[in-house]
Amino acid sequence: MKSLPTTCPSCGGKLAVRRLRCEKCETEVEGLYALPALASLPQDDQEFVLEFVKASGSLKGMAGLLKVSYPTVRNRLDEVIGKLNAHSTYPKEAK
Amino acid sequence: MNLNNEKKPTTLLFNPFVYIAGIKALSLGVLMILLAGFIGSLSRTHFDGVLDSHTGARAPLWFFLSEGFTDWLCMAVVLLIIGKIISGTSFRVIDVLGTQALARWPAVIIGLVALPKGYERFGRYLVEHFRTPEAKLEFNLTDAGIFLTVLIATIMVTCWIVFLMYKSFSVSCNVKGGKTVLTFIAALILAEILSKVGLYALSRLV
Repeated sequence: MKSLPTTCPSCGGKLAVRRLRCEKCETEVEGLYALPALASLPQDDQEFVLEFVKASGSLKGMAGLLKVSYPTVRNRLDEVIGKLNAHSTYPKEAK
Repeated sequence: MNLNNEKKPTTLLFNPFVYIAGIKALSLGVLMILLAGFIGSLSRTHFDGVLDSHTGARAPLWFFLSEGFTDWLCMAVVLLIIGKIISGTSFRVIDVLGTQALARWPAVIIGLVALPKGYERFGRYLVEHFRTPEAKLEFNLTDAGIFLTVLIATIMVTCWIVFLMYKSFSVSCNVKGGKTVLTFIAALILAEILSKVGLYALSRLV
């Protein structure tokens, strides 16, 4: 499956959704929709968040699952939080 | 970090804290400190400071063992305080203590390489040579070779320990960048002074 592009290949700016299409009846909706915060994360960060939720938000559980140490998981989580915080500063009109 | 984490040999050697921290690192680290102290007592290798290792002086086993613990605790406590100041996140004390203890494991190698008697003999030869330069002393080439090998190995292993201590600090306190290097150097100097003072106080009990 193709990965969702989140930044503009031309200027590096953040991409927003312009058009949505129903897979069943092919109705198309146009507008300007901001990508959800989680969708703006790189693929491996999204996988990390998914696994973290599945592990009930347990850092110890994640450390066991990923076979890494507790601080390694916590540092990774801090990185993801930093990226999500950066996303929240995205201009309001695109939200 | 990918979700599929295969253990890389280089990471295991130079940053094992990606895989091991907390109570596991603490248990293993304490075991290694004890082992280094015990082997040190056999080769009379003293870890008389966070960055130091010297051979020669006789001492009881408890003193050799307490040297490693003093070095570890001085460094860990200083890094804990500095970590609290500069880290933008919360971290566990057990991770700092555990990874700092484990960072000292290559000290075992220093104790082992200093075991051959040729090292001690050549050390004595050098001391005598500098004390009485006019005296004609017997020079053994094999002992000189052993001495040089041990010296190079000790320097390399000490650098490795310092690198591991830095990585331990970086991982367990989640700090990165130039500021981390500078604060780590400051911590190293402070811990070295503290350990010297602590070990001097301990040596008065011998």
